[in-house]
Amino acid sequence: MNRSFIKSQSLRYLDCNAVEVKSKYGAEFRRFSVDRQKPGKFDEFYKLILHIHRIANMEVMIGYADVHGDLLPINNDDNFCKAVTSAHPLLRIFIQRQEEVDYSNFGTNTMTRRKKAVVTLRNDVNRKRPQIRIGMPQDFRPVSSIIDVDILPESHRRVRLYRHGSDRPLGFYIRDGTSVRVTPHGLEKVPGIFISRMVPGGLAESTGLLAVNDEVLEVNGIEVTGKTLDQVTDMMIANSHNLIVTVKPVNQRNNVVRSSRSSGQSTDSSGSAGYPAPPPGSLGAHGLAGDELESDEESDIVIESSIKRPSRRSNASATSRSQALQPAPATASPSTPKRPPSLISTASFHSQPSLNGVPHASPSFRLHRDHGSSPAFRESNGSLHKILNAMRIDPRHSLALPPGGVEEDGTVITL
Amino acid sequence: MMKFRFKRQGNDTQREKAKQDVFAFNKQTVEHGFPSQPSALAYDPILRLMAIGTKSGAVKIYGSPGVEFGGRHVPGGAVTQMHFLLGQGRLLCLLDKNTLHLWEISPGDKGSSLDKTLSITLPGRPGVEGVRASRVTTLLPTRRCDLLCMGTEGGAVRTLALPSLAALEARMLLQDQVLQRRVSGVPDEYKCGRSLGPVESLQEHPRYPGKILIGYSRGLVVLWDLNTWQLDALFLGNQSLESLSWERSGRNFVSSHSNGSYVLWAVGGSRCPPVCRPMSCTRPYGPSPCKAISKILWRTSESGIPLVLFSGGMSRASYGDRHCLTVTQGDTQVALDFTSRIIDFFTVHHTEDGDRFDDPTALVVLLEEELIAFDLQTTGWPVIPSPYLASLHSSAITCSYHVSNVPRELWQRVAAAGRLQSPSQTAAKWPISGGNSFASAPKQKDLLLTGHEDGTVRFWDASGMSLTPLYKLSTASVFQTDGDHSNSSAQEEEWPPFRKVGLFDPYSDDPRLGVQKISLCKYSGRLVLAGTAGQVLVMCLNEEWSDHVISSSVIDLLQDRKGFTWKGHDQLDPKAGRIRFMPGFQPVVLVQCIPPASITTVALHAEWNLVAFGTSHGFGLFDYHFRCPVLARCTLHPMDTIAMEGPLSRIKSLKKSLHQSFRRIRKSRLCGQSRLLVQGLAGKESSKQLGEQGDSRDADVAPVQRRIEARSAEDSLSGVVRCLCFADTYLRDAAQHGPTLWAGTNAGCVFAYALKVPLRSGSWGGAVEAILSKEIQLTHRAPVVGVAVLDGQGNPLPEPYQASWDLATSLDVQASHSVLIASEEQIKVFSLPKITMKAKLKLTANEGCRIRKVALVSLAGSHALLCLTNLGDVQAFSVPGLRPQGRENCIHREDVSGMASCVFTKTGQGFYLISPSEFERFSLSKCQVSSSLCSVEVQRNSQTAVPSTPPWRSGTPSASSTGGPPSLGGQDGVRISPGFSCGDIVMDTTGDLTVEDVKDFLASVDEMENNLRNRSTNDWHSAGILINGTVWNVL
Repeated sequence: MNRSFIKSQSLRYLDCNAVEVKSKYGAEFRRFSVDRQKPGKFDEFYKLILHIHRIANMEVMIGYADVHGDLLPINNDDNFCKAVTSAHPLLRIFIQRQEEVDYSNFGTNTMTRRKKAVVTLRNDVNRKRPQIRIGMPQDFRPVSSIIDVDILPESHRRVRLYRHGSDRPLGFYIRDGTSVRVTPHGLEKVPGIFISRMVPGGLAESTGLLAVNDEVLEVNGIEVTGKTLDQVTDMMIANSHNLIVTVKPVNQRNNVVRSSRSSGQSTDSSGSAGYPAPPPGSLGAHGLAGDELESDEESDIVIESSIKRPSRRSNASATSRSQALQPAPATASPSTPKRPPSLISTASFHSQPSLNGVPHASPSFRLHRDHGSSPAFRESNGSLHKILNAMRIDPRHSLALPPGGVEEDGTVITL
Repeated sequence: MMKFRFKRQGNDTQREKAKQDVFAFNKQTVEHGFPSQPSALAYDPILRLMAIGTKSGAVKIYGSPGVEFGGRHVPGGAVTQMHFLLGQGRLLCLLDKNTLHLWEISPGDKGSSLDKTLSITLPGRPGVEGVRASRVTTLLPTRRCDLLCMGTEGGAVRTLALPSLAALEARMLLQDQVLQRRVSGVPDEYKCGRSLGPVESLQEHPRYPGKILIGYSRGLVVLWDLNTWQLDALFLGNQSLESLSWERSGRNFVSSHSNGSYVLWAVGGSRCPPVCRPMSCTRPYGPSPCKAISKILWRTSESGIPLVLFSGGMSRASYGDRHCLTVTQGDTQVALDFTSRIIDFFTVHHTEDGDRFDDPTALVVLLEEELIAFDLQTTGWPVIPSPYLASLHSSAITCSYHVSNVPRELWQRVAAAGRLQSPSQTAAKWPISGGNSFASAPKQKDLLLTGHEDGTVRFWDASGMSLTPLYKLSTASVFQTDGDHSNSSAQEEEWPPFRKVGLFDPYSDDPRLGVQKISLCKYSGRLVLAGTAGQVLVMCLNEEWSDHVISSSVIDLLQDRKGFTWKGHDQLDPKAGRIRFMPGFQPVVLVQCIPPASITTVALHAEWNLVAFGTSHGFGLFDYHFRCPVLARCTLHPMDTIAMEGPLSRIKSLKKSLHQSFRRIRKSRLCGQSRLLVQGLAGKESSKQLGEQGDSRDADVAPVQRRIEARSAEDSLSGVVRCLCFADTYLRDAAQHGPTLWAGTNAGCVFAYALKVPLRSGSWGGAVEAILSKEIQLTHRAPVVGVAVLDGQGNPLPEPYQASWDLATSLDVQASHSVLIASEEQIKVFSLPKITMKAKLKLTANEGCRIRKVALVSLAGSHALLCLTNLGDVQAFSVPGLRPQGRENCIHREDVSGMASCVFTKTGQGFYLISPSEFERFSLSKCQVSSSLCSVEVQRNSQTAVPSTPPWRSGTPSASSTGGPPSLGGQDGVRISPGFSCGDIVMDTTGDLTVEDVKDFLASVDEMENNLRNRSTNDWHSAGILINGTVWNVL
């Protein structure tokens, strides 16, 4: 320890522009230096690392410990530069194989905790605590937003829930009740509709914007006064793909304060808080999602069957249909498990610790279901439910459908 | 008539005007069928009108066919008794709340109408202790219609002036008067205890007006003269009395008793007053204990042998549960054995004074579920077919189907088949013949077909304002059922001489026979009936008897879907071999779906010889010409297990019961106090939509809560096929039209098939082919309730054969067809063949109502889409623009069965069931209104007009100066006058009083006394309910 200190000191003395780098891959250490002012490109650094550690034919993830002891990734020029410039006194690099990368180890306090755990690497840590998976930023999507803050009374809140065709439940219940209104004649009791229950892990709960006993005032711009519970239920279900509820929260303490609007992005009506611009690579998916956000139009899906082979009789027609559709399920089903494990991320206004809400078991459940239904597929008359289901779950897959079973031009018509 | 309240859509006044010319809502035009829960019957032999009252307070008056009036007591209450004021067109109704109502048939410029003119509340409501004595048990308006006698529970007979309903309190006959004034006449055994019992019957002497026969419950009968206020005769009956009936001459009368006997009495004798003993006593079904004879009629005939008609009296042990009416004439005796309870009956007979005999022509019996008339002049007393009050629900109605503008040829063939089916056994005309109907003959013939639980289909003539049966078709003969029992009546003994009568038969042999869907091609006479066990029958109309084998096929709608087991009912077994069929509709082809789930929709294209049908599992297409299946398609979602297991799934019920028991445990922990479940009822329907989980939760836990969840493909029963339609349109390209089949499911999916239908006449007779061309998945996933193809002008395509029959409606060959898809939540119009959206209407998202039924109708030449929503509204939209045209509340929001039974006609009318036995017809079209147009000529002289003020108002309320029981009569005497000296009454009542009797008297007039006290202390106007009621209703 002492020796290394002296050494590093001496190095710094020798060349204050050089940054000492201590790179660790598995149990091996390598020491070298880079130029603090001109660290160079990430690609070069990456190659250097591979060369120094004699790693070949393998993708690795490079991470470093910053001044606060957090493990942060180095994967582009910017964060490489940041890592070098902020290194003090030396830059500690950790190399992991790409497939072993555990993103949960990145982030706040990771290094400090890791120190306590005496350099036990990822696996031990994982065993001890429930794992929270955070998707890559490109997979982030808004699940809710507060809108129209500027036009609503402060006591009201208009919440938009985005389902994005996910199979996550909206997850709340409503009931009849009485609310007290201030009228010219004094206080008056009027019937109202209230949120009665939240489903744990549901979308509504995870946003933190709705709570039990909030009074529902409007559904998608239509007042609910004078409507029965069943009517309001039907309205909400009919609008469930893009539900905007105006509530009077029972807890009025968390209301948006008008004056602080400049400071908080939370009042942005687009709900862009915590919604980073999508990386170029995933524009396709978000393009579609974006459309959904802009207009409340749902798009009915029209599938044109290829009528190349006319069939005879019922059985014959059934087989021709299933043949025509065979490629589609074949690609659709396996692609489902490939989906990033955490499809849904919360980027809500409150940024609650609701990440827990993402069920860990969900990928495996989906897998199971796919397996369960695929035999039915192969033998059966090619029900399109599966494809449609896949489409509904993740719009990207609808684009990924190959031509053949579904004709390219008629695949998905947004009406 | 209410006009639509239009939504403002710009300021296109011309358009508004056009709308007003076309739309008009008539909530209730006519009611068809048999009134639900009848409770009272009345007949006016002078006007020849019959009145029926119901437990819900409805009043209906019927005359000759086409003469119908209706009214309703508001607020409701069961009508317990009804009496016509003979010849006056006035009807008195007594309700179970002890209120008395006077209705009047009044002339109007659009025919006569029935209006309520007076209502009074009689003192003493049932159930309140102490005033029970004044509850009215029986009513008798005198023949002169000047007086109404009311027998009460306490045994008193009160009188009211008619038609003012003013109380004549001096003329109240108390039991004490009967007993005390002629002490010598009444044996001591009648005086024991407090009274003679309630007044059971009041009958006016047929010869001497003003003499009434009063029958007391304990058996004593007295003849009282209202004019002289004296006792004329005493009849010492010792059995508890049920009813009395005069013989025409007035020399005899007959009484019926609770032990099942009837007694004949002779009037007249030497003693003054005569005290009579029975002439003869008969117990027709003795000697074993018998049930009471509840009503008896004695009618003389020219032959000299009287006709005795009585209800009940059957041997208690053997036939106590039968609903029997016995008709006896000499040696001829028939026990008419009905399927439902007898409410009341009357005979139609000669009533004029000149006639020497009654000579009854007809007997009319009101039963709980039907009305039956018998011809009493033809031997065997056959049934006279009824022109109205058809018993629609002889077996429970499972579906209905309306055909507008039926071609003459088909009409005649169906009617001929119907006549052959039930040859008329009597030449007698319908006995109730009052009033004149001047409704014009219907411009077109309309048919209403009702499917029933027992597998029958009834054809009704719905063109006019009454629904008359035309033809009945049974499908049960095609199948082997458990109900194939030999006729059990053969084993029955000779005595009593039962004769089964009536159509009402609620017990279905096999519920699988139930007819769920009907489709009729009115041009070709092809009929498709589809039932509960997945059976589809194609029928042809044939004038000849036929003896043939039905071609039978089975279609597996599951195809090769694995892992599912049907746990519902079995499919029906068709009878093997030849079956003999009557002329009429004869089954030709039978298709059975596997699994045998109930058919949910059916479509027929007679020109292409195709029938399409759907169940909860999928849909099939069948070519009934070549008798081969064309297509079978499974619509099940792989996760949908409920549909697979059928309605009787054990797993489902176990799951449900577990749910409920857990919930019960939790509930008992949460809240100790018991709660009513009533709240859950209102929203039952919608919670059903949310799936089973929500349902069980909502039903049990209070307060009611609703789950907000998007529809998903896994929702149960998503595979149910909701609608099917054939169309000749442009599905594949814009250049060539061709046959297509459209199917919509509960999951919001629409399948469009291109069909290849070979020309039958041409040389190439290849098989029909179906190729899936398009699948449309509505993103909102709501059930598709209707699909229709519209031509270039936005009109619906003509029906099969319509173009060839009716040249005016040729197929529009412009290639701009569009398809209208209505889901429960939205209506959309897409262009064909591109499927691009042209118009959209989001009903649920905006209004929170869901569509239950849709129909394209023609309203004064223009077409409109009518939607019935789950709120009971009927909304009209233009097609293809989907602009709201009007909206009217039609069916009550909670009336789920009414909505489920609603059918629209092509001309903008609609039918729905207001009770299991009654259709109500409504109209949305201004030019199509069916309402009764009839008149009854009533002669009322000015004296009998309802007075504007009660006669006694002029009297002075001097009564307050006197008090105590002896002067009560006098006090009342001040307030009425004519013909009576109050002194008499005071004297008479006070004369022979003992202490005991005073006590009795006090008890029985307790109520009256209270009234008087009120009168003296309070405002004069609040004096009596009677008074107020009278005054208010007149003003």
